Amino acid sequence: MRGKLHINGEWHSFHADPATPLHRVLREQIGLTGAKDVCGEGFCGACLVEVEGEPVAACLLPVALAECTQIVTIEGLYHDPVGRRVMAALEAEDAVQCGMCFPGMVMTLTHLLKTDPTTDREKVKHALVGNICRCTGYERIVSTACRAAKAMAEADVREETA
Amino acid sequence: MIPAEALEQQTDFHHPVTVQEAVRLLAKLGTNAIVFAGGTWLMRAPAPSRHYVSLGRVAALRQLVITPETVRIGAAVTHDKLAAELQGLPGLEGLAVAAKRAANPAIRRRATVGGNLCTKEFPAADLVPALLAAEAMVKVVTPEGQANQSLLAYLDWRREAAAQNHLLVSVEVPQRAGRLLAHARLTLRRAGDYPVALISLSARPDAKNQLADVVVAVGAVEDQARRWPGLEQRLTGATADKAFAVKMAQELVADFRGREGPEVPDWYRLHVLPELLGRAMAQLQERLANGGRAA
Repeated sequence: MRGKLHINGEWHSFHADPATPLHRVLREQIGLTGAKDVCGEGFCGACLVEVEGEPVAACLLPVALAECTQIVTIEGLYHDPVGRRVMAALEAEDAVQCGMCFPGMVMTLTHLLKTDPTTDREKVKHALVGNICRCTGYERIVSTACRAAKAMAEADVREETA
Repeated sequence: MIPAEALEQQTDFHHPVTVQEAVRLLAKLGTNAIVFAGGTWLMRAPAPSRHYVSLGRVAALRQLVITPETVRIGAAVTHDKLAAELQGLPGLEGLAVAAKRAANPAIRRRATVGGNLCTKEFPAADLVPALLAAEAMVKVVTPEGQANQSLLAYLDWRREAAAQNHLLVSVEVPQRAGRLLAHARLTLRRAGDYPVALISLSARPDAKNQLADVVVAVGAVEDQARRWPGLEQRLTGATADKAFAVKMAQELVADFRGREGPEVPDWYRLHVLPELLGRAMAQLQERLANGGRAA
């Protein structure tokens, strides 16, 4: 099939079988390689992209069902104020890990901070259940997410009282 | 790996907007058709040359209606939505736990209740034992008409030739006064992988505070989830007590034949089953002590 995807605010054409997983079209035809091709079973979170505002495993989403949706990949998350805040916090805390699992972790944490900003480590860990790190660990990332949530809450209070 | 553009049009997606249209399509396409709900199982190994009948545009299948007597769950309701909607319903906390703890957040946003019940190749679906213990009924539509049947009967029926082109439309869970439902799952990691074993336990306290209407359902241990009638009998009339439940389960665990899997050997699933039952009973005990609610 030939179709169009709306990704990071722009339209892109693709040509693939309708059942092709979205992440393969992103990587092979559109040149967006931030979503990784890893487990192919929705377990590891390396291919997470935002579809209609929610992180989904792109390896489990057929491209035919991604048409007419708003897709944001890690490459587009920089234009999202909360996404930018998460990335800055991870960099400032030296919590950035390799590029295999990390884009997915940023997608998850951005969604968490938007929907349920929390300083509760258990909640952050539950949110990261579907993001598998194969080489380093999670503790620093969890701490950074909690600090970012606290900073966001404080910024909100400052804005309200200004 | 075959490049994506080389896979041109081996499959077709169809997008019905009503249940009737979906059933007509399934009948017309016959054995080439496959129902596509959340896709979290099918996309692990997409079949070539198939017609997928996508349920994403059938609004009726996404409805969830709660009345004092029942909870009617549309087949395309996701785990995420189910967990959110059941929040605070004291009798069905175990079902909420099953929906909330299955797989991982991204899967729960897409995986549907119907998909969990229809995927006969997946033995470790959390919702199946939870809904068995809740004594759920399912509504199915075929080209010949519609029918309601117990989930217990449906799990066998779905394997028959007559079920070839059926569409599971909804699941109806009774809400019975005083009845509580607990769900315990064991994974190798703390979360996020396929469960080694699942136990759902429902019961109500009778006038003497002894367990009545006991239902125990076990998932992931064998190829298909099923009830544990021998244990149900032993627990009926007993008080909610973890140690007693574990002892009974140890005595009866040979009722099951463990499933050999890549993650654990067959014997291990049986080995952990009594303790898992104990955890479910502990949840029940806690809720009974708390007037029906989790602490």
